[in-house]
Amino acid sequence: MIRVLTLLLAALLALPIAAEAQKPIKVGYPMILSGSGALFGEPALKGAEMYVEEINAKGGVLGRKIELLPRDTKGDANEAVRVSRELILKDNVDFLVGTLTSAEGPAVSVVAKENKIVFIANIPKTDQLTAPDKLHPYVFRTSANTTMEGRSAAEFVAKWPVTRIATISPDYAYGQDVTKSFVEHIRKLKPSVQIVDQQWPKLGEADYTPFINAQLAKKPEAVFSSLWGGHFVTFVKQARPLGYFEAIKLNFIGVGEAGSPETTKALGAEYPVGITANTYDAFYWTEGPPAQREYNARLSKYLKDEYPNSWAIQGYMGIHVLAEAIKKAGSTDSDKVSKALLGLTVDTPHGKMTIREKDHQATRGLLYGQVVKDAKYPFPILKPIIYVDPIRFMD
Amino acid sequence: MPDLSFVFAQALSGLTAAMFLFLIASGLSLIFGVLRVLNFAHGSFYMLGAYGAYQFVHWLGTGPGRFWWAVLLSALCVAVLGGLVERFLFQRLYGKEELYQLLFTYALVLILSDAAKILWGTQQKSVSRPPGLTGALSLFGATIPYYNLFIILLGPAIALGFWFALQRTRAGRFIRAAALDRETLGALGVNVNALYTGVFVLASFLGGLGGALITPMRSVVPGMDTEVIVEAFVVVVIGGLGSFWGTFLGALIYGQVLSFGILFFPRFSIFSMFALMAAVLIIRPWGLLGKPLK
Repeated sequence: MIRVLTLLLAALLALPIAAEAQKPIKVGYPMILSGSGALFGEPALKGAEMYVEEINAKGGVLGRKIELLPRDTKGDANEAVRVSRELILKDNVDFLVGTLTSAEGPAVSVVAKENKIVFIANIPKTDQLTAPDKLHPYVFRTSANTTMEGRSAAEFVAKWPVTRIATISPDYAYGQDVTKSFVEHIRKLKPSVQIVDQQWPKLGEADYTPFINAQLAKKPEAVFSSLWGGHFVTFVKQARPLGYFEAIKLNFIGVGEAGSPETTKALGAEYPVGITANTYDAFYWTEGPPAQREYNARLSKYLKDEYPNSWAIQGYMGIHVLAEAIKKAGSTDSDKVSKALLGLTVDTPHGKMTIREKDHQATRGLLYGQVVKDAKYPFPILKPIIYVDPIRFMD
Repeated sequence: MPDLSFVFAQALSGLTAAMFLFLIASGLSLIFGVLRVLNFAHGSFYMLGAYGAYQFVHWLGTGPGRFWWAVLLSALCVAVLGGLVERFLFQRLYGKEELYQLLFTYALVLILSDAAKILWGTQQKSVSRPPGLTGALSLFGATIPYYNLFIILLGPAIALGFWFALQRTRAGRFIRAAALDRETLGALGVNVNALYTGVFVLASFLGGLGGALITPMRSVVPGMDTEVIVEAFVVVVIGGLGSFWGTFLGALIYGQVLSFGILFFPRFSIFSMFALMAAVLIIRPWGLLGKPLK
C-alpha cells in the first residue's frame, strides 16, 4: 500500500515537471516589421524563424521547443522598449533576441538589464551597445560592431595608392561611430593620409546632390561611405550622372552592406561596378564554407527565392547562439545562460564564432569584395569574396 | 571662396530639388486653397506615383519610350484614385470639424502605406533614367545630368501652364471662385461637388507625377510618403498656404537653402530650413505670398 502511495505521489510530483518540459522556451523577437526598416527586419525574422523551425524539427533544446514571439518595433526605440517590456511582463518570454537600429539595441539593453533577461542583439552595430559603461551581464551581440566594420574597411583603403580621403555617412549613431572607427584606424595604418572632406547627410536624405558636389569640390582620391540600403541606392542614382565614381577612379568603399545582393539587385545596371563593398552574406559564395552553401540552399527553399536574402543570417545567427548557450547552460535561467554565453564558440554557417568574455561581442567575420558583373546573375556580385576575420583588430 | 563652377552646380542641384517640391507642394496647396483641407495623404499619392512608375516600367518591358508612358500612366492612375477617394470618402467630411478631416487624411496615410507594402513588399525598387537623358552636360565647369536639366525646365513649364489655366479658363475661374466663396458659387448654379472632385483629381495627378518623375533619382521605398509630406508642408508654410506662386517661391527657397546650407552649417542644413520656417511663421504667419486667413 505504501509502495502504491509512494508511486502515486512520485507520479503526481513528476507531472508538473513533465508539463514544464513540454512547455516551449519563449523567445521575444522585437524587430522592425513595418515602415521602411521592414525591408531588413522581415528577412532577419525569416532567418530566425527558419532556425527555430529546424531546431524544433530535431526535438528542440533541452527537449523543449522554441517559440518565437516577433513584435513590431516600427523602427522606434521607445516602441522597441514598450514591446520588449510587454514580451517580458505579459508574454513571460525567457529571452530576447533582435532589434535592428543602433537606437533600438541600446534601449532594449536597458530593459534586459532591469528584468535580468538575456538579450542578444543580432543587427545593431553601434559600439555604444557593449561599451564598458553600458555593458551588463545580460546583453550580447552577434553582429559585427562599428569598430570592426570601420577598421576592416580601413585595412582595404590603406592598401590603395591614395592619400586624400573623404567620407560620406548618415548623421546618426551608426554612421558617426563607423566613420570615426574608419578614420582613426586609417590614420594609424597610413599616417600620410589626409581626411579632406566629411559629409553628413541626414538619415533618409532624399537629395544627395549638394553633398556630392561639395565633396567633389574637395577633390578626394578615395571615399568611405556608410550609406546603406535604399539610402545608398538613392545616393548612387544621383552620384553616377555627376561623374562622381569616375572622379575618384572607383576608389570607393561602401560599408553598411552596400554590396548586399538586395542592393546590387535594386540598382542593377546602374550599380557602379568596380567599387568595394561589404555584405552580411552572399548566396553565390561558391568558394565559401560548405556550411554556408548548405545554409543558403535551405534558406532558398524556405523563402522560395532563387536568390535568398542576405539579412536572414542575422536573425539565424542570433537565435542559433542563444540555443547553443541554453544547451551549454542546461537551463533556461537567464543568469546561467548569461554565464554560458561567455566564451561560447558556435559553428555558424560562416565558420567558428566566439562570444568574447570581455565585451560580450561576437567575433563575427565580415564579407567584402569588389563589385563586378557576372553573366550568371542579372545583377552585379562581389567577386572574389574576402572573408575578414576581425580578431586581429578587435580591442 | 568656393569656385564659381561649384556654386553654379549647387544652385542647379537646389533648383532640381525645388522643382520636385513644387510639383508635390502645389497639389497640397491647391487642395487647401480650394477645399480648405490639409491633406496629409498627399505624400501617399506621391509614393503611389513612384511605385506606379516602377510597376509600369516593369510591365511595359522594353517598349520605346516606356519610361515616359509609365510616368504618364502612373500619374493618371493616381489621379483616378484621388478622384475616387474624394467622391466616395472625402465628400462626406465637408463641413464637419477640421479635426475629423485631419484624422481621416492621416488614416489614409496609414492605409495607403500598408497597401503599398502588401502590393510591392518592402524591398527597395529602382527605375533607370530614360534613354536619351542618361548623360550629363558640362556647363561652366559643372556637371549637370540631362535628367536634372529636364526637371528644371519642366517645373516652370508646369507652373506657367497651371497658372494660365487658373487665370484664363472657365474651370480656372470657377476654381478661384470656389476658393473665395463656395456657397455663392453653388447658388450661381455651379456644381461645386464636381468641381471639388476635379481639383482633387488634378492635385493627385501632380503628386503622382512628382513621385513618378523622381524614380530615376532615388530609390522607391516604403516611408517615402511621410518624408516628402513634411518637406511639402515646410514649402507651403514658407510660401503661403493656398498661394500658387507662393508655393513656387517656397520650393525655390527650400532647394537653395538646402544646397548652400551644407556649406555653412554642414550638419545643420535641415535646421536652417526649419529656422527659416519659424521666422516666416513669426513675421508673416500667412507665408511670404499668402493672404491672412479671415
